[in-house]
Amino acid sequence: MRIIDLMLKDLIQILRDWKAALFLIVMPIGFTLFFGFLFSGGGESDPRLAVAVVDRDETAVSARLIDFLAGSSVVRPVMTPGSSRDRLERQVAEDELAAVLLIPSGYQERLAAGEAPQLELILAPSEEVGGAAAQAIQTAVSRVTGAMKAARLTADTIETSDRSVETGALVTIFDRAIEAWEEPPVMLEVTQSDPASAVEEEIGASGMTFAHASPGMMVQFSIAGLMGAAEILVLERRSRSLQRLLTTAISRVEIILGHFSAMFIMIFLQLLLLIGFGQAVLGLNYLRAPLATGALVIAISLWTAALGLLIGVMAKTEEQAVIYSMIPMFVLSGLGGAWMPLEVTGETFQRIGYLLPTAWAMDGFRNILVRGLGLPSIVTGLGVMGAYAVTFFLLAVWRFRFES
Amino acid sequence: MKLLDIGLKDLVRSIRSAFFWMFGFGIPLLMVLIFYFAFGGLSSSDEGVSLPTTPVAVVNLDRPVPEFDDVSAGRMLADLLSMDGFDQLLDVTSYDRAKDARQAVDRQEAAVAVIIPPDFTATVFGSSGQTALELYQDPTLTIGPGVVEGIINQFLNAFVGSKIAVDVATEALSARGLAIEPGQLEAIADQYAEWASSTGGDLQPSQTPHLEVRLPAEQAAEGDPLADILGAIMAGMMVFYAFFTGAASSMTILQEAEGGTLSRMFTTPTRRSTILGGKFVTVFLTVIFQVVVLIAVSALIFGIQWGDPVPLAVAATSLVLLAASFGIFITSLLQGTQQTGIVYGGVMTVMGMIGMSQVFMMGAGTPPPAMEILPLVVPQGWAVRALDLVMGGGGLGNLLLPVAVMGGLSVILFFVGVFQFRKRFV
Repeated sequence: MRIIDLMLKDLIQILRDWKAALFLIVMPIGFTLFFGFLFSGGGESDPRLAVAVVDRDETAVSARLIDFLAGSSVVRPVMTPGSSRDRLERQVAEDELAAVLLIPSGYQERLAAGEAPQLELILAPSEEVGGAAAQAIQTAVSRVTGAMKAARLTADTIETSDRSVETGALVTIFDRAIEAWEEPPVMLEVTQSDPASAVEEEIGASGMTFAHASPGMMVQFSIAGLMGAAEILVLERRSRSLQRLLTTAISRVEIILGHFSAMFIMIFLQLLLLIGFGQAVLGLNYLRAPLATGALVIAISLWTAALGLLIGVMAKTEEQAVIYSMIPMFVLSGLGGAWMPLEVTGETFQRIGYLLPTAWAMDGFRNILVRGLGLPSIVTGLGVMGAYAVTFFLLAVWRFRFES
Repeated sequence: MKLLDIGLKDLVRSIRSAFFWMFGFGIPLLMVLIFYFAFGGLSSSDEGVSLPTTPVAVVNLDRPVPEFDDVSAGRMLADLLSMDGFDQLLDVTSYDRAKDARQAVDRQEAAVAVIIPPDFTATVFGSSGQTALELYQDPTLTIGPGVVEGIINQFLNAFVGSKIAVDVATEALSARGLAIEPGQLEAIADQYAEWASSTGGDLQPSQTPHLEVRLPAEQAAEGDPLADILGAIMAGMMVFYAFFTGAASSMTILQEAEGGTLSRMFTTPTRRSTILGGKFVTVFLTVIFQVVVLIAVSALIFGIQWGDPVPLAVAATSLVLLAASFGIFITSLLQGTQQTGIVYGGVMTVMGMIGMSQVFMMGAGTPPPAMEILPLVVPQGWAVRALDLVMGGGGLGNLLLPVAVMGGLSVILFFVGVFQFRKRFV
């Protein structure tokens, strides 16, 4: 009962300051919307990478190449008749375009003659954008040059029978080969698990843009919320309230558990509110696996609260409480993949990331929100987060001082 | 002289604060350090940015067809994925059953499963039929599965292209009433396959003879994409935290007013305007100190190329003036320190994020048109734009517009802020 009294006192003290809502609720929601907006393309109707095409050939072959690019799921051709080459190159350098593809005049003629004319491709330096655009363009170019090669080989075979093949006829055979590519004998089918397909169907592409930002900001700001809670402990120690408490019937263990419980409840409620926001407003289905989501929220609240207790124990001043909260917030969020998926980082960085509880929290939310999985998929993560909670808590108890 | 004394005294006090070191230098550098590690600082390669190895589960269900001399297209694909050239990119594990391979992906032991169908060879080498090769992937991943898809597409281009070449030739010869002689179609298939392997067999588009791939001239000259990424992040962070420093330094006026020390200073023979002027000098000195240290330290630690010294000095000076003036302005609007939390923590954070929004978009694809204008709605956006121009090799001419806007804003914000403070204290 005394633990609950102390917990309620702390909670009232934290929540009485309306500024706490800024870090606990307003900022995570604001940042989630902000990052979601940025990575959804800001309302752009066609999210594919823009590739400027300068067609100086203007033949059937170049038209087919542009058609292929238009059918790509990765790039979209943008025709730029009035733009200079320098301007386009600058646009690539400034990330306005993923690439510029220049089709030289005489391209079809040289290809039909059996030569290997080159297209010039100016590519964005980013490995993700430039690499993806290059791969898609390469596929389209391979199809077109392959179709012309097939037409050329056919023409050569026909010509062995003393029949000539005019350019028009060659282009007709080329067109036939292009058509054949539209329904190739071997297709590449990209599939995913049934639960993941169900999730994708349910929340759509727009929901997917928040599937990283929402849990990422949730994890980050659960640590930010510790500032206020840790400050209370610092204030109590400095004002000797902790010592005064010891003169009452409350035990040391009850005091520690009281403060810990307040932090736990605060973070738990914060996460519930943010999950509610994600579910109701962002279209994410956290409740697809309510047990898994609940277990994850409890695990995150436990290790974060234990960290908060440790911060409150270590900090001697309010200033230190803020600094000691901000450093783990940035380090754990950044290294644990709350800002960017660990997939895009290097191998060593990923290994370090998975030593941290944040990476396991993010993995757990990804399993529920994107992979459509349930409780069994997050058991390891729960174990890691539980171990962190115990470690932080024991360290905090060990270092707990009732006087400054 | 008194004005400078007050300024220096407060600057020393700021420098002694752990808070200033943490938010002025610690966090901006820590953020860049995290990105440095994420995108290459921990890479074993010398090229900076590197891709992690993708675990791939391969199931080859393909059945060789006796009429094609037991050649197996499925085995060729499986061998291609396991070949030495791809060992840095792919870590291939073979499975006997498609179900096991899919489960490996579900258990996150593999990023992608390649399931080669039983009729693969029969379809590739046969005259009719259609089949599908399955790529079962982890829905949370994009890069690894994309690499595998690219390799398989190249492989299929050669095989499927061969088959299409044969089909097209058969059709064209028949249409012309020409008899197909023995060995003619095999010759076409062989020639096509040979051509395909010589032109499209490589993974990297830059290595194919169809494309001459290069970077834009500006990037090619600079050469280090990691330094570019870090430079943009550092510039954004510096602007973000310089504005906080400007505001936090100005806050000492409110703190001294509330603590009574400002009133005590007003009882001395020093003019009130001198005292306030000294406080304003502190704000400028603190931001100058922060900006200079961040530029120097980031250049030393991360090798960030800040651009030519003269344009950089102009952009940095404009940033200092703007951040300090903005700090004085916004603090002058506050009634007391109790309001700083919401203004510094909320308003300025949101403004800072908007100002550096283009930095967040870096590498995420083609930015939407609104993203071009959005950052310029806030003063931070102009500062980021100016530094970005300098880092991109821009000269004084390129800086005219952002510097003019920053200068104009600085003058307006400074005078409004000073007017407010004078009205209150002088």
